[in-house]
Order: sequence, then structure tokens, then C-alpha cells
Amino acid sequence: MFKSQKHIFWQAFIVTISIFVIGLFFGMVLENWRVSKVDNFYQNSEIDLLDIKLQGDIYSQNYFKCEDAVRENIKFADKIFEESRILDRYESSNQLTEKDLFFQHKKYDLLRVSLLLNSLEIKEKCNSSYNNVIYFYNYRNPSLKAQAKQNTFSKILVELKKIKGDDIILIPIAANNNITSVDLLLNRYNVSKENLPVILIDDKRKIYELENVNQILKYF
Amino acid sequence: MEFLPYVYLTYMFISLYMLILFLMLYIRNKDNFFSYPHSKKEYSVSFIVPAYNEEKTIEDTLKHIFDIDYDNIKEVIVVNDCSKDNTTKIVKNLLKKYKKLKLLNNKKNLGKAGGLNRALKIAKGELIAVVDADSYPSSDSLKKMVGFFEEKDVGAVTCQILSRNKNKFFERLQAIEYQVIAFTRKLLDFVDAIWCTPGPLALYRKKALEDINGFDEYSMTEDIEATWHLASRGWHRRMCLDASVSSTVPQTIKPWFKQRRRWNVGGLQSIYKYRKSIGRQGMLGAFIIPFFIIGLFLGLIGLSIFFYLLIRNTISRYLLTVYSIETNTPILTIENFYITPSFLNYLGIILFLFGLIFTLIMLSILNEKILKKENILTIPFYMIVYLTVYPFIMITAIWHAFRGKRIWR
Repeated sequence: MFKSQKHIFWQAFIVTISIFVIGLFFGMVLENWRVSKVDNFYQNSEIDLLDIKLQGDIYSQNYFKCEDAVRENIKFADKIFEESRILDRYESSNQLTEKDLFFQHKKYDLLRVSLLLNSLEIKEKCNSSYNNVIYFYNYRNPSLKAQAKQNTFSKILVELKKIKGDDIILIPIAANNNITSVDLLLNRYNVSKENLPVILIDDKRKIYELENVNQILKYF
Repeated sequence: MEFLPYVYLTYMFISLYMLILFLMLYIRNKDNFFSYPHSKKEYSVSFIVPAYNEEKTIEDTLKHIFDIDYDNIKEVIVVNDCSKDNTTKIVKNLLKKYKKLKLLNNKKNLGKAGGLNRALKIAKGELIAVVDADSYPSSDSLKKMVGFFEEKDVGAVTCQILSRNKNKFFERLQAIEYQVIAFTRKLLDFVDAIWCTPGPLALYRKKALEDINGFDEYSMTEDIEATWHLASRGWHRRMCLDASVSSTVPQTIKPWFKQRRRWNVGGLQSIYKYRKSIGRQGMLGAFIIPFFIIGLFLGLIGLSIFFYLLIRNTISRYLLTVYSIETNTPILTIENFYITPSFLNYLGIILFLFGLIFTLIMLSILNEKILKKENILTIPFYMIVYLTVYPFIMITAIWHAFRGKRIWR
């Protein structure tokens, strides 16, 4: 006598859910590992920044070693620029822990604002010749056109860094991440969020439209 | 989390569920996978062979039918549906050779289902064997299949369909597909969910066919419709994996595409016809129709997402290229080659590997030599490329179904 095995449908369902939950768990583990890696980078960078600031304070009490301060500042800027690229890659691939990385991004933006202020201060104190290149970009849902433009700007900045080396400090900052200090910076530089992305070379020049590296080099 | 990852997760869940369901069904039933009940009585069988322009194959088909090792074959009725070639002449010549052969010439083109219904009226057997005119049943097929009718509520029995031609790469792909279909159909047999008793060889209880008033002449796939109709009337459908029939598969893409489109249109017609059975009428409403509908939606949504991403990426790539040229920056940088897979990518790869392993297991159980030189390329190609074409066929099928085109030939 033929006996249908219909009970197997819900049994398979339970097994599937179990395997699926295990899969999601491993997904969470993988993504959390990435988040904690970024967090680790961030904590180290935060310590580095604090260290640079304290160095400045110590120097200013007795004597101020401009060379050291500038060198450390540039080194630090390069370091967090590299870390931001890793963060970008993880952000585009993490699916379950997007929010965690979003907070990491915000923390990095704050760190970059702090770096910028430090950099401006050193430049003024030391009357240094290096240039602060600030790149304000659209972080949240840029259009395809804006995204392509931002990707091109990023490549231009990388090229620029290769050419200018330690003569520039590259500081990319997400402009629409709901951070008040960033908003204050935008006001200070008179940059509207509607006109993103924009490259600022010190206080002098704003670049809204795509230009090639040689043209940009003329602004320095 | 955006919308797309949820869609991917839903896909993965459904695929994993089907994979696990099939795996569990196989593990539980592997000992009687190829077994079949032996019949206590020798049922009388009438063969019906619908034919339209079948001059190349009809003689071989009839030879194979008359070579079948079964003593109670009442008759073999060829229904000639106004063939324009030499089919009539060939069959007429064979009338002298085979005494049980009968030829019915339709005065006007009735289509396959119409021809079958005409023959059904004069068929004398307790069982009706439908054989496509380009298919060749194995000599032991009938003996192995009739035992299932010992159970009074079995209305139809199907068997394994093999590809007769598998020399070309494209034919081998279809051969693999046929084996996978046979294997999974047998698995569905254990849960009374057989959804098609295909035309190459299907054995019906005449009483069951009378109960459903024969074949639906408006359906593009009368075999799917008849199976669903039988299920809706409480008749069980069974599968004998040890019995086989070989059939000629399309040799080029165009006829293959037309054939698959017809199958899909027939499936859509059946979904529409039996839409009110969802959630009712046993496995038809509980599994078969939802299974079809989910397959349809998954295919369509998958295709939509594919095009959405393709267009989006193309525009993005185009803009980036234009901007890069404008600014004299490299179009590709090392950054483009960094791969940071998401966990969805990992899950997808694992699921694909599970699917591949399961396919290999299926084929090896069906005695396919999977390490054969030609299969090493064919099997991955079947899984990666061949199966992904199906949603495209579905789109054209929907288009044809809406336009009401009858394209079964």
C-alpha cells in the first residue's frame, strides 16, 4: 500500500531553518570580525591622534618642534586614509552589520575632523608649506552619476597624493552623515550639501567639477 | 539592510529547502528507489500514438512498441493528425506487418489532445499507454509499470525519459537535464506530488481518463493538465524509475527554445485553470501549484534583479569610464581587483556546491559516468549556464500566454 510521506515537508523545513540559522550565525561572525577589525584600527588611530595632540601641547610649553609635528601629522593622515579604504570595502560587502560599520564611519569622520583641526593648527603655528586637501563627499545614497563622479575624484586624489607625497594632507570627510562638527566645517568653508562632492585645497580653492590632475596641480 | 539581501536570502532559503527535502526523501527511500510492485493480473493495454509529420521516427517507434515484452497488448492506435509528409503511407504499409496496429486519420487537425481523445473513445484496454511518435519505450517498460495499478486509486504511471541523441554538447546538456528531472520526479513520487506524466510514455487507467473526460484540447501541455486534473479528482500518479523510454531531444537551440516555451505556456495555463485549487485538493493545492507559482515568481524576480543590476552597473561603469577619460585617470586601478566577499557570496557558493554535489550524486545513482571526459565540462555548464536561461524562456512564455498563441507544434 502506497504511503505518502507528507510529514517530510515540515521536517525538511525545520532542518532548513536550522542550517539557515547556522549560516546566518557564521555570517554575523564574519561581519562582526570585520567590524571589530575596523574598530581596532579606529582605537589605534584615536590613540595616535591623542598622542599627536599631546605632543603638540608638550612642545608648546617649552619649545615647538615643527618638523616632528608635521611629520607625525602627515603619517597619521596617511594611515587613516588607508584605513578608510578598508572601511569602504567592508561597508560595501557587509549585509548584516551595516549599522555597526555606519557608526564606525561616523567615528572616523570625527577623527578626520579632529585631524583637520590639528593640521590647520600646526600649519599656522609652523607656517608650514604643506596643503590641506579636504574632500567632502556624499555618503548616503548618492546617485549613479554622483557615485561615478566621487569614484573619479577618489582616483584623482590618489594620483595627487602620489605626485605631491608629504606636501599634502588628504582628508576625506563624509559630508552628510549627521555630524554637527562636519556641518560646522561645511558652513565655515561655505559648502552646500547639494553641491557634493567637492575638493577644498586649503581655504583657497574649491573644485566642484572634474578636472585632471595636472590642472589641479596648478592650484597649489 | 537593503531590499536586495532579503531577496537573496529568500532565494537561498527556498533553494536550500528544496535541496534538503530532496536529500531527505532520497535517504529515506533509497532502498526502494528503483523497485516496483509486481502485478498479479495482466491488464489489457491499448497504445495510442499521436502523429503529425513523423515520417522519420514513426516506424522505429512502432517497432519498439511491438517489441515490448507484454502479452496483453490489445491494440496500437496511430492517430494521424493530417500529416503532410509520408507518415500515413509508412503506417499503412506497417498495417500488414502488425496485426494489432490501427490507423485513425483525422479529417481536420485536432491537435495532440484532440487526437488522443478520439482514440480513447475506441480504445479497448483497461490501461491506455500514450507514446509520442518520436519515442521508443524499452521492452521491459510495461511489465515494470503495470504493477502500480494494483492500487485502485492509481490513475497514471510515468517512467524515466532518456535522451536518445547525446553526441553533441547541447544534446548532452538535455540528457543530463532529463536524468535530473527523472530523479526528482521519483523523489516527488514519495510525497504524491508528481506533476506531470510526460508524453514519451505515460500509462493511464482508462477509468481515470474517463473520469477527467480525457485530455484538455485547449491546453498546450495536455500531459501536465491531465496529471493535475487526475490529482484534483483524487487519482494518484506514480513513477517507475526502472522503466524507461528514450526520446529524441532538440538538436539546436531554436526548436529547444520553442519546446521549452510551450512547456512553460502549458504550465501557466494549468496554473490559471487550477488557481482555485490552491490550498485544497490534496497535494495539488498544497504543493504542486504553489511549487509552480513560486518557481515562476522566483524566475521572474531573479530576472528582474539581474537586469536591474546589469543596467545599473553598465551605467555606472560607463559614467566612470567617461569621467576617467575626461580627467585622464586610469579606468581600472588596483582597487577594482580587491575582492571582499559578503557572507551572502559565501552562502551562495556553498549552496551552489551543495547543488552540484547533489546533481553529481543523482547522476551517479542513475549510472551516468560523471568523470567521463565530456561530462566534466557539461555538468558545470548545465548548472551555471543552461539553468539560468529558463527565466528568459518564462518571459517569452508569459508573453505568448497573454497573446493567446497556440504554438504546440
